[in-house]
Amino acid sequence: MEAFIGVFAWFADPANWQGPNGIPTRLLEHVVMSGVAIGIALLVAFPVGLYIGHTGRGAFLAVSLANIGRAVPSYAVLVIVFPLSIAVNRETGLFDIAFVGTLLAMILLAIPPIVTNTFAGMRGVDPDLVEAGRGMGMRGGQILSRIELPVALPVILAGMRTAAVQVVATATLGAVIGGGGLGRYIVQGIARFDYQRLVAGALMVALLAIATELFFSWLQRRAVSPGLSGRSVRAYENVAQLGRVDVPAV
Amino acid sequence: MVNRLIEPTSGRILIDGRDISKDDPIALRRRIGYVIQQTGLFPHQRIGENVAVVTRLLGWSRKRQRERTDELLTLVGLDPARYRDRYPSQLSGGERQRVGVARALAADPPVMLMDEPFGAVDPIVRERLQNEFLRLQEQLAKTILFVTHDIDEAIKMGDLVAVMQQGGELAQFGPPDEILARPATDFVARFVGADRGLKRLSLSRVGDLELQTAVTAHPGDDAEEARRRTLADPFRYLLLTDDDHRPIGWVDQDDIPRSGVLTEALAIPMSPLVSRRTTLKDALSMMLAADVVAGIVVDRTGRVLGLVTVESIAAAMRPPDRGVGAATDGSGPDAARRLAAELAARDDQELGRTEATRA
Repeated sequence: MEAFIGVFAWFADPANWQGPNGIPTRLLEHVVMSGVAIGIALLVAFPVGLYIGHTGRGAFLAVSLANIGRAVPSYAVLVIVFPLSIAVNRETGLFDIAFVGTLLAMILLAIPPIVTNTFAGMRGVDPDLVEAGRGMGMRGGQILSRIELPVALPVILAGMRTAAVQVVATATLGAVIGGGGLGRYIVQGIARFDYQRLVAGALMVALLAIATELFFSWLQRRAVSPGLSGRSVRAYENVAQLGRVDVPAV
Repeated sequence: MVNRLIEPTSGRILIDGRDISKDDPIALRRRIGYVIQQTGLFPHQRIGENVAVVTRLLGWSRKRQRERTDELLTLVGLDPARYRDRYPSQLSGGERQRVGVARALAADPPVMLMDEPFGAVDPIVRERLQNEFLRLQEQLAKTILFVTHDIDEAIKMGDLVAVMQQGGELAQFGPPDEILARPATDFVARFVGADRGLKRLSLSRVGDLELQTAVTAHPGDDAEEARRRTLADPFRYLLLTDDDHRPIGWVDQDDIPRSGVLTEALAIPMSPLVSRRTTLKDALSMMLAADVVAGIVVDRTGRVLGLVTVESIAAAMRPPDRGVGAATDGSGPDAARRLAAELAARDDQELGRTEATRA
């Protein structure tokens, strides 16, 4: 109980809300780092997943690579890419070593679930639907955007959700190699035997991960057609009876 | 192949005299209505959006799309206000099938392809959908290429039936009645089944036959006069009718009194009543069930038009070109041998059936 009050006191201390080591700054660093990592991972992994899912080519290779990627612990990835980020920094002189290192690790961790889920989602689309679309005169792009993508969307979004939560958690490790983010509090807490700081940092990371999870489940409800899940269809019916009609983002 | 989802290896396919291999496949497909098995409705789209897929591809205005969608839903018997904004998962199999048909009709295509459209619903719903679709087709008059594994469906739905044999070979092509009456090969004969004679009965209606005239009389008529008329007629019963010419019942010629007048008390229970629209199969079935040899054909107000007899149905089923010596088909050593062979081939037949229809 005393410990709990101590952590509470830490949060209440205005000093912890100011300056480069204040909560807003660290939180922002954490969110920006995670956001950039997810963004880049999406740019790489989503098209690859779509391509593999749409054409069926290279599926085995991609899924195997993705599974290996998933088996490697985040910390190991961080250690492996650290020398790489030092090299990048030396060549370009542009980026902060810790930032690039953490980013690379996060991207590598985010790619596998996005690729596999995008691929699996596309694969799971009933071939009859594609044939119906083709038979009615849809072009390849129209089949992709009007049939395959919307139908595969729940699975694809689930992959992104896994990736995002994992990235938010991994961003914490960036502090170990000198990066920013909420992980700093944990590292500082260990170094200074500052238990309150340590717990406060861990608590914030956990809350951020939960918030990410919630954000994606909200996104999923918004973006996925109610026609694809029985539960939301009933919810939709209730809404429709009230006279409000949502148009799914299809 | 007709919508070029598969390209032919040889030969040509013409629509209205035009070789489709010279058309743009995308434009071609938008001109052909397409109904597939299991309907292929898009689960993430509302019914209205599903029906409007092709009109949207063709770039119709939203207003026109919507009007057309409502029109089509009404046409297939679904209330647009109730169904437009639902999702396919909220519909029954039969309703989905109707939406599938509506979707295929969206751009009013002159030609439609239907690939086992009623395969995924239970027999009762299938029968209803078939009847509805036949009624719809009377208004629409489209050219429809209808693929089915079910020979009964083929005979019911088709104006012309092509029976495909394994290896994609065309075994026979002709009107249903011809396929049933004169199967071109043993394969077709086996495929249409031993009950093909009965199947033919469902293709014709009572109105197609020349009705036999019935000897009729009213209660109160002179009995002796009626008796004379009945004895002069090959049919041994007198039909008693009321003043409006509606049937009351039969009187056996032996039961007609030699003097006095006819009374209703003389009448024995009636034969089944049929209309001109009744199929011969149903008429025959009713006669067998009632253990009589004649059915009374009545018009819409119940007045007697004439009689249909077991004999007249049998006569109608007799192929016109069959000579006197055609008895080998049903009896004699040849037929016995053939029957034995047919029983032996029954397992093969099941195999042949699936392969043939898949081809």
